Amino acid sequence: MSDIFDIVIIGAGPAGMSAALEAAQQGASVAVLDRKATPGGQIYRDVTQSPLLDPSVLGSEYTEGAELVEAFMEADIDRHQNADVWHIGETGEVLYSQDNQTRRLVARELIISPGAMERPFPIEGWHLPGVMTAGSAQVMLKSDGMVKDGAIFAGTGPLLYLIVAQYLRLGVTVNAVVDTTPAGGVVRAMQYIGGALRKPAYLIKGLMLLNEIHRAGVPIFRHASNLSVLGESKSVGLQFEQDGRTHSVNADHIFLHQGVIPNLNMTRALGIEHHWAEQQLCWTPTLDDWGQSSIPHIAVVGDAAGIQGAEAARHAGRLAALKAMNKLGKLSEASLQQQSSDHLRAMKSFKAFRSFLDAYYAPTPEHRIPAASNTLACRCEEQTMGQLRAGFEQGAKDPNALKALTRCGMGPCQGRQCGHTVSELLAVWQNKPVSDIGYYRLRSPQRLLSVDELSQFQNIKPAKKPAEVSA
Amino acid sequence: MNFDAIIIGGGIHGSATAYYLSKAGMKTLVLEKDYVGRHASGVNAGGVRLLGRDFAEVPLSKEAMSRWQTLDDELEGDTGFRRRSLINIAIDDADMSTIKTRITKLTGLGYDHEIQIDQQELRERLPHAAHNCVGGVVSEQDGYAIPYKATSAFRRAAERFGATFHEGETLANLRQIGDAWQVRTDKASYDTGTLINCSGAWADKTAMMMGDNTPLSYSAPMLMITARMPHFAGPVVGAISRQLSFKQFENGTVLIGGGAKGFADRDNNRTTLDYKKLALAAETTKTFFPIMKTAVINRMWAGLEAYMPDNLPVIGAGVNARNAYHAFGFSAHGFQLGPVVGDVLAQLITTGKTSFDLNPFRIDRFERKVL
Repeated sequence: MSDIFDIVIIGAGPAGMSAALEAAQQGASVAVLDRKATPGGQIYRDVTQSPLLDPSVLGSEYTEGAELVEAFMEADIDRHQNADVWHIGETGEVLYSQDNQTRRLVARELIISPGAMERPFPIEGWHLPGVMTAGSAQVMLKSDGMVKDGAIFAGTGPLLYLIVAQYLRLGVTVNAVVDTTPAGGVVRAMQYIGGALRKPAYLIKGLMLLNEIHRAGVPIFRHASNLSVLGESKSVGLQFEQDGRTHSVNADHIFLHQGVIPNLNMTRALGIEHHWAEQQLCWTPTLDDWGQSSIPHIAVVGDAAGIQGAEAARHAGRLAALKAMNKLGKLSEASLQQQSSDHLRAMKSFKAFRSFLDAYYAPTPEHRIPAASNTLACRCEEQTMGQLRAGFEQGAKDPNALKALTRCGMGPCQGRQCGHTVSELLAVWQNKPVSDIGYYRLRSPQRLLSVDELSQFQNIKPAKKPAEVSA
Repeated sequence: MNFDAIIIGGGIHGSATAYYLSKAGMKTLVLEKDYVGRHASGVNAGGVRLLGRDFAEVPLSKEAMSRWQTLDDELEGDTGFRRRSLINIAIDDADMSTIKTRITKLTGLGYDHEIQIDQQELRERLPHAAHNCVGGVVSEQDGYAIPYKATSAFRRAAERFGATFHEGETLANLRQIGDAWQVRTDKASYDTGTLINCSGAWADKTAMMMGDNTPLSYSAPMLMITARMPHFAGPVVGAISRQLSFKQFENGTVLIGGGAKGFADRDNNRTTLDYKKLALAAETTKTFFPIMKTAVINRMWAGLEAYMPDNLPVIGAGVNARNAYHAFGFSAHGFQLGPVVGDVLAQLITTGKTSFDLNPFRIDRFERKVL
């Protein structure tokens, strides 16, 4: 019986940790499963054990995470790190691998926060060695203290500028910033300026980052378009257009980024209802203000619920925990409303701010929907846009039909890299809204699973005791 | 709108029937409630198997097998067919004598496509099989195809002969008026001379509208596929007395089946998986092929498939209406019969006869005492 919990939380980022803290404070039995060795999620990755001598170069938003992680470590929570969830049953059964053992626990209420991933950047040559995402540059920096000198950072969005600034603070040279934010972004964003002004600190921080990059003398190419990576077997540079002129800049390493999107594989495999969010140009689970999904015992929080950022994720986590307590009969409706109100208000103002950011940094169609037939759409199965187009012309008009015909989305990433591209391509080709096209049908396992791990299902182990966990 | 023939269901049998009918000059429409190849026809294991067939099915299956060898040329398409041979492994003497008895019976009927092999030959053909495997039985012509591609190749070939496919259109109602049929869907109404039920897991509903009752059940056979691994198995592999079934594709991925069933929610077009049974299939595969220990599973899925009580399909004319035909209930081994069943139906429809004995496949066979 000890492996049955009131609330099981998957993912120990800001949303998951906040949900766990709230649930524990409210007196629930709480277990948290997190796939990494230490809590923090992507944003607070290794915040309590940074390899950097001075982690403050990573910015105050990062270092502030340490407090949350410490509170999380001290609370009465069953914490399971290195716990890689690969199946969530409809009944609340959660299967995960830890130390090569398949383990299981059962949740009365589930709060999942699988986080975000960087939006694919399907341009010519994006698959070449030397091309990475800006997020992976940050992971190398946060976890291993590794950097690449003389790289190009290309794309749009706050994270891109943040990483460039982090590089510069460490004295790493950056060859160029190729900014794809379209000239019209400002105009589009102005209608949401009211939302932006509700978060002046963020606005100022953003402007300061740009200023910092500018002052460091890094060439910035604004409103760049038609990006393509140069090189045959590895990247040697980036070509792009600016004001009708073609430029090319040499670099062995190119970091691409055009914002983040929800990591869909877990919510899709669960069969949670999703919709196409036009503002963020991505599939998003359909949720109420408390993160409640279309499945009664499952809530989704954090960036997997729609991109809102780390601070909003903390409020979302608290809200989902409060709602779970209410569903468990441990928190009255009146108390739920009363204790939620501050968090709901905070979420509202983050949403307004996000509208501004989404409008300003909207990724352009040319970098989301490949137009050149030799651009790879599915990297795992090496399917180009032209091959997908041929499949479409043979009658595959649905993402799953196209997958069956061309193998796009069948590889180890289970469609993470090509899912959005395929939905948007099929929408464009049929002149239909993306919401009519749909997405891949996904299933467990959530990750590659060894035959050995799977066969242990015969004799499955309960969750490790907390004592064993801390040992 | 008027058609000579309307087919309910765009699986492999519906698409193949459309191909043979339109080739014979009939104006044919396929009504598919989802998209062509959405269910069992598009997501099955792709086994093209003559080995181990029920004796009643052997003539059809043999004919289908010889057609598969040149089907890509016939359809001017790519079905993904590869001739690889299929071996059913024997793990003990009892299995070996089961094989022997069956081959004796097949020989008596004039068939020679199943050949018994001893332990040494098994090791030559499948060097990675566990040492306790004592032999097996092989069918040389067998192999696999890519299900969605094959179904889609039939559809495109049918379209080249003028067949029409309507996807996302659901049958609502059927009426026989004289010798003809009126077909009403959620979108339109059609008249047709001939009606063909190829509705797979939904075929009992279509049959009922045509006046024929049938004891069909449906289930969700499950499959899983590994990430790429080094080549270790050329032939498709099964076993005489164990739920072992896998094949390694050219790209190195290994598809594991074995007949384990998940849960089928037919009304919602949905299946859910039974992971404990998949785990058992993983265990069996690992036991017979220790090299599979290190394999990693990439995806798991299931499809909605129709089963008959005797695991034989229904093929042939309806009994309670005129100009009505059925082909369904293939009980998880209909994919290989794709290239023959549609042609048999087309012959029945256009000439009134076929050279195959369809008695074992009559829709009313469960109402007769002899069974």
